[in-house]
Amino acid sequence: MRGKPKPPVVTETEGAADGEWTAALEHNEATIRRIFDDCSDMVFRSAGRAGQARRLVIYISSLVDETIVDDHIIRPLTARGAFPYFGGEEQNGEALESGLVTAGSAKLSSDLNEIVRQLLNGHAIVLQDGERGGLLVKADGVKQRSLEEPSSEPVIRGPRDGFIENISTNMGLLRSRLKTPRLKLESVTIGELSQTQVVLAYIAGIAADSLVEEVRERVGRIRIDGIMDSGYVEEFIEDLPYSPFPQTHSTERPDVVAAELLEGKAAILVDNTPFVLVVPMTFWTGLQASEDYYMRWPVATFVRWIRFLFIFIAIFAPSLYVAVTTFHQEMIPTNLVLSIASAREAVPFPALFEALLMEIVFEALREAGIRLPKQIGQAISIVGALVIGQAAVQAGIISAPVVIIVSITGIATFTIPRYSFASGVRLLRFPMLFLAGTLGLYGIVLGFLCIVLHLASLRSFGVPYLAPLAPIQQSSLKDILVRAPIWAKRRRPQATAAADRIRQPAGQQPGPPYRGNRS
Amino acid sequence: MKRALQACCLWSACLLSGCWDRTEINDLAFITGSAFDLTENGDYLLSLQIAIPSSTPGGGIGGGAQHKFFVVSATGKNANDAFEKLQKKSSRKLFTAHRSVIFIGESLGRHGIEGVIDVFAHDPRQRLRTYIMVVKGGQAKKLLETKYPFDQVPTEAVKEMEGQRSEIAVNLRDFFIAASSKGIEPVIGAIEVEPEGNDAEQMGLFKLAGSAVFKKMKMVGKLDERETDGLNWATNHMKDERINAELPGGQGNVGMLVTHAERKITSDASGDRIRFKVLLQGKGVLFENNTRLDVTRPKNIALVKEALENSARTQVTDVLRKLQKQYDADVVGFGQLLRQNKPKQWKAVQNEWDRKFAEAEIAVVVKLNISGAGMAGPPLQLNQQEIQK
Repeated sequence: MRGKPKPPVVTETEGAADGEWTAALEHNEATIRRIFDDCSDMVFRSAGRAGQARRLVIYISSLVDETIVDDHIIRPLTARGAFPYFGGEEQNGEALESGLVTAGSAKLSSDLNEIVRQLLNGHAIVLQDGERGGLLVKADGVKQRSLEEPSSEPVIRGPRDGFIENISTNMGLLRSRLKTPRLKLESVTIGELSQTQVVLAYIAGIAADSLVEEVRERVGRIRIDGIMDSGYVEEFIEDLPYSPFPQTHSTERPDVVAAELLEGKAAILVDNTPFVLVVPMTFWTGLQASEDYYMRWPVATFVRWIRFLFIFIAIFAPSLYVAVTTFHQEMIPTNLVLSIASAREAVPFPALFEALLMEIVFEALREAGIRLPKQIGQAISIVGALVIGQAAVQAGIISAPVVIIVSITGIATFTIPRYSFASGVRLLRFPMLFLAGTLGLYGIVLGFLCIVLHLASLRSFGVPYLAPLAPIQQSSLKDILVRAPIWAKRRRPQATAAADRIRQPAGQQPGPPYRGNRS
Repeated sequence: MKRALQACCLWSACLLSGCWDRTEINDLAFITGSAFDLTENGDYLLSLQIAIPSSTPGGGIGGGAQHKFFVVSATGKNANDAFEKLQKKSSRKLFTAHRSVIFIGESLGRHGIEGVIDVFAHDPRQRLRTYIMVVKGGQAKKLLETKYPFDQVPTEAVKEMEGQRSEIAVNLRDFFIAASSKGIEPVIGAIEVEPEGNDAEQMGLFKLAGSAVFKKMKMVGKLDERETDGLNWATNHMKDERINAELPGGQGNVGMLVTHAERKITSDASGDRIRFKVLLQGKGVLFENNTRLDVTRPKNIALVKEALENSARTQVTDVLRKLQKQYDADVVGFGQLLRQNKPKQWKAVQNEWDRKFAEAEIAVVVKLNISGAGMAGPPLQLNQQEIQK
């Protein structure tokens, strides 16, 4: 905040406060009509019957499921023989609630603010002349996408459902994995205009209270007009906004979120986006794929080491090439240096420029590949592979070793399972390339030191980014450099799990059937 | 302000150090070998073999393999002078770190190499791991011009040959250590060109041809291949040595491959003459049997073993004698051993070690252990009656 005055807290629904809620239906209707002036999707439907007090059903047609409105509100209200007599105010409301309206969730309200808000949340309101209370009936039915496998985090083995844009479905996906009342889902609304529901999920007793309080506080601090994606929230709650490394873990996979909740982390679900944020995030989270835990552990460990190797390649391969070929030619074996020299013989550019050019072209290809319509996606691969790869080498503009290096680097970045983490790593290549091109290996060492220093000082919600390796927390190391068998990982990570650190009883290592007494 | 100052200090510390000698790889001329010769008026002739990268495999499209390298030469008062002249002939910066071998012409070797070799110890761009070799009977430049069929650049082939260590492989570091140590004299490998194929192709082979013994930076003599093998064993550098021996009584000959060799030298300086005992132990298998003996029999093995031991002993004794009597150079390092084992006696003799070494009594004992007779006992073509059990 740095001493700036806090922005004034704006009332939740703009312009609603100037109306007055009365018992007169005409007046109330006029009030709502005025508030929703020029909103073509507002529906005002009279549902009264001759000889009875006038009734009005109001809803926003684009937000509700009209079959619910028809079947559970309009039909009962207009049906012959239904409650011909209405008594006092209270009785009427109850009658509506208990008898007339057959929808599941219904509630009386005479607060204009709430009525407006709930209308915008997809409720329908039933008003009756002479009654102050209007009945809010939940009838929301925005079209939803079906559950699909998240395209950004596919697995060979593992659950294939992913979060969708609807937060209650998402909460359901979590709840169905953690069927315990200890799974808490605290809801807040953020965004003056968007009124986006944001849910903070954690498991009581496992997540540290301080963490939950911190997340609650940081999320509650957000003042913004609208939230389109959890990315908005992420940028508001990060510890260090200037870091290339993400400090919240965004995922589309409910199994990942549930597993991290079990480790004592907290999740932030945002309505209208399938991406859920999990905090705190560490460096190692960036290199763990959900499938690591579904494959058998030796394989998972091996794959993890492949990633460790390739994250180095992703950051350092182009810069090492540039440094070694322009400064330290004596380091390359003689035959190799002659091959590189002959490949570079016709190339007009310095090695640094050459590598930079190819890296940028690769990034452009990658970006174009994402943005292109799927139908012409193949075109980009042909253009990329043939034109840029082969033709540039044949024309002698780019040397073949650079193409190889850039390709390896490209592959390396795709081995990093968390996309936002991989993006950060990709970014680091370019400063490294400049350092290598100007200062040689010395520059690479400098850059490496800077990265390590930065990582070591970075924190995500108070947890050191390199934990549990630096600072070392021995009991949590079973999921970092190796992925220990599930039965061996008895304790939850020290950095996040507060009190309840024991996952499971000891001595569950399986073995062949045992004759005689178990000791 | 303080922060800015700190940042400034940090940046200057970073940027003022480090590597500012950026050179693109195609602005370098990779020297793959150097040769030093003596000119008639006493100057040095420095020749450099420089790789031409564009014609090496993988480079460019359709670049034929006509020229893989070229050789440039210049004369100078010392190595640096000549090198400077060569740099002026080259559009690219001469790059020495990839040089694998330095050749010394035999005439220069006999004249003394102290005038050319010091540059390799002083200039940081040189590598002490570079092999040094004497070109037997001729100009070293000729060797650089030889086109060797296998490798891109011929000197790489030399490097590979040296790397196999079948002969004496000495790099600059070994040479300087031996030359500066007391009680040992340096020996370096020798090589010679062997013209092969027709002249149009200008193909040529070179072969490792024994070694050259140096004393006080001057070449004092040569050892042929057989002598060099013996020397290798005596200096405990032996690896995969083949020994052949005639069996007594004209029975034929046998060959063995020694895979594990060990050397022990014990000294005795009590009397007037210093005595050394060289114990050579070898272990290996029979590789060849051109006799009628069934070498799987212990009796026959003993026979064969004795013949082989005798043959090896003569081989080693011959070379030691030659070093003692003819070259007067303690290449094996007997003096060094004496210094390490009996420092007092060494002090007494160190000033006249050359003479003492020549007079020393050296006994060679060879003990072989034949651990296998190979895949067959007697030669397979023999029938039962012909085999001597």
